[in-house]
Amino acid sequence: MRPDAPSLDELLENPRLWRGHDQTRATAGLASGYAALDRHLPGGGWPQHALTEILTEHYGIGELRLLMPALARLCNDEGHAGGDDRREPGWIAWVAPPLQPYPPALQHWGIDLSRVLIVRPRETSEVLWSAEQALVSGTCAAVLLWPRTLGDQASRRLQLAAEKGGSWAIAFRPPAARSESSAAALRIELRSDTNGTRLCILKSRGGHPAVLRNLF
Amino acid sequence: MRRARKSPVVVRQPAPTPDFREGGYSDQRSLPLDASSTPAQSVQAAISRRLWFCVYLPELPLEACGPANGARVVVEEQQGMHRVLLADRKARAAGIMPGQTANAALALLASLDIAERSRLAEQQTLEQVAAWLESFSSMVSIAGSDVLLLEVAGSLRLFGGLKALRRQIATELGEQGFAASLAIAPTPLAATWLARGKRRACVRAAANLNSALRTLPLYCLGWPDATVESLGSMGVENVGDCLRLPREGFARRVGPERLIELDRALGRLPDPRSSWRAPETFCADFEMTEEQSERELLLKICRELLLELEQFLLARQLGTQHICFSFFHLRDPATQLTLGCARAERRAAHWFELLEIRFERLSLPEGVIAVRLYGGHMQAMDVVSGYLGFHQESRTRRVGYSMLQLAERLTARIGRQSVQGVTTVAEHRPQYAWRTEDILGDDVTNGQVQVPNALRRPLWMLPEPMALAAEQGYPLHHGPLTLVEGPERLETGWWDAGGIARDYYLAVNPQGVQLWVFRDRKRDAGWHLHGIFG
Repeated sequence: MRPDAPSLDELLENPRLWRGHDQTRATAGLASGYAALDRHLPGGGWPQHALTEILTEHYGIGELRLLMPALARLCNDEGHAGGDDRREPGWIAWVAPPLQPYPPALQHWGIDLSRVLIVRPRETSEVLWSAEQALVSGTCAAVLLWPRTLGDQASRRLQLAAEKGGSWAIAFRPPAARSESSAAALRIELRSDTNGTRLCILKSRGGHPAVLRNLF
Repeated sequence: MRRARKSPVVVRQPAPTPDFREGGYSDQRSLPLDASSTPAQSVQAAISRRLWFCVYLPELPLEACGPANGARVVVEEQQGMHRVLLADRKARAAGIMPGQTANAALALLASLDIAERSRLAEQQTLEQVAAWLESFSSMVSIAGSDVLLLEVAGSLRLFGGLKALRRQIATELGEQGFAASLAIAPTPLAATWLARGKRRACVRAAANLNSALRTLPLYCLGWPDATVESLGSMGVENVGDCLRLPREGFARRVGPERLIELDRALGRLPDPRSSWRAPETFCADFEMTEEQSERELLLKICRELLLELEQFLLARQLGTQHICFSFFHLRDPATQLTLGCARAERRAAHWFELLEIRFERLSLPEGVIAVRLYGGHMQAMDVVSGYLGFHQESRTRRVGYSMLQLAERLTARIGRQSVQGVTTVAEHRPQYAWRTEDILGDDVTNGQVQVPNALRRPLWMLPEPMALAAEQGYPLHHGPLTLVEGPERLETGWWDAGGIARDYYLAVNPQGVQLWVFRDRKRDAGWHLHGIFG
């Protein structure tokens, strides 16, 4: 190494140097309620006004528990839009849930049931339409959807709708979808066995892939 | 002056029509005027506060036939012959006169459009005009087959005076294609007669009625032809001539009811009119000249109907929650399209937005020949105060409203049953501990019940408990289950058919899925899956 070469610290001080994960620091994430997860997410929480994908093999391995603390905050907090805008607490829309979300349990997690909207479209094409409507309406703080398929184009639409309506879209998909491309800001895969649940961050805009064990 | 002694008021006021009074007025005890307990002067005082606006539609039979392409006449059958009742401007220019036979008219103009007179269509058209006139006055009365009366004394201030009101009504009637003759007078009959006489009169004070009516020819009064003829043969040509006749003799010759009419017209007798109310349900049709299947055009027609509905509702300060479109076909039964709304609504733009969502998915079996819009049940509008900008409350309400709009959009496309809210119910049986709520309904209660936190409940619930196979007494679900927590014993509901006796456990299967299973103690001690901890 040449003696006059700048040290790494000096290089990092240089304002001309652009580093990818600085970019999203400005936008604060929505605290997930799980400190270990927050540490791995850029902004220290779930990406807001964006699409999050959760890939699971089975229902019931913690995919809802993962979201509950954040959803409870959303529907009870004044101002789901990052605190800069004083809006009334947002609604939480469930589009095409595979089973019945059980209200007493939702209440147990602190969800305000008067702000829960359950939409059950009869046709697959209507799932995406309903979710998009809910996202752009600006009244839903979060929209959970269980689409049968979600192509690249559809995920882009959802992402745009989430940005436009200032809402948080969460799509639940089978693990086979990990090979498909997606416009989601965050993609998470949940795997579970007798040893517990493993959470893989597959894609995180402004963050790094990671694997977390024993979150719950 | 015997009456003056009876009623001192009369003494202080000048007698308005001395000439008629000289005709033996005070002596005609048999005539209805004297029998009336209301003194004439106080009637007049009441009348002077009223102002009747008469809309006379002399060409209603023609106008009720709808727009014509060329020259048109309306014919009516008289003694087996079709005779021209009315001819429009183009037909008159060709020399066609009322009273001609239809054949004679056709000989003059081969391209003539001949329409049979339809009293029903006339009545409907007249009612449409009356409904529209309701936006100018709360008191609209239908007087005969072609005359409408409005009491406008109370409307003058709102519409900027009598002149402005008259101009507005005249202009808008003209725009709707009606040739109307308008007149204003303190009594309904006088206004009607003046309008029939096409005098364009505007009499504001009751004292001027006499001079205004005096020169009016008798045919304007709508009296039977025989009466007018017999009076004409006596040299009685106008209202002034009638008023000069002795009352007793006049009543004997032409009947007391004519005398009463004269008294009413001059405001000496009260003339109560019944107020006409437009029907509270809205139903409008649009008929097409040929089958149409072009969607753009149908949407445009629907928009027209919605605008009509908006006008109708606006005039009544009402809104509606449901509207129904019917698209009629030539052969197939009509296609129905019902739209619902979260709260009473009347804005055409709002309904149109909902219609567009549904219409794009509507399949019409064949072309449409007519569209009908039915307005559903009317109700008073929920008036929401506007947002001033500094009041927090109004702001939150605004956001809440757009939630309803979202729910409306969703229900418009995927159906009302598919969009729900949820709430909890105070009940130990898990399947009854919650229920759905209609998000658009008025019966949204805030009767949520707090579940004790100690009880663990799954986030996913199966619609019905699913029986599980068991191995050596332990349940199986994608592998053997490990019971983690429990039992939680629920034994309740014995008072109705849905009683349960169950031990609930939290179990984990080899995939790590947390399940809520129970053992039925009542029936077969079998294992069942009831929920999944999401």
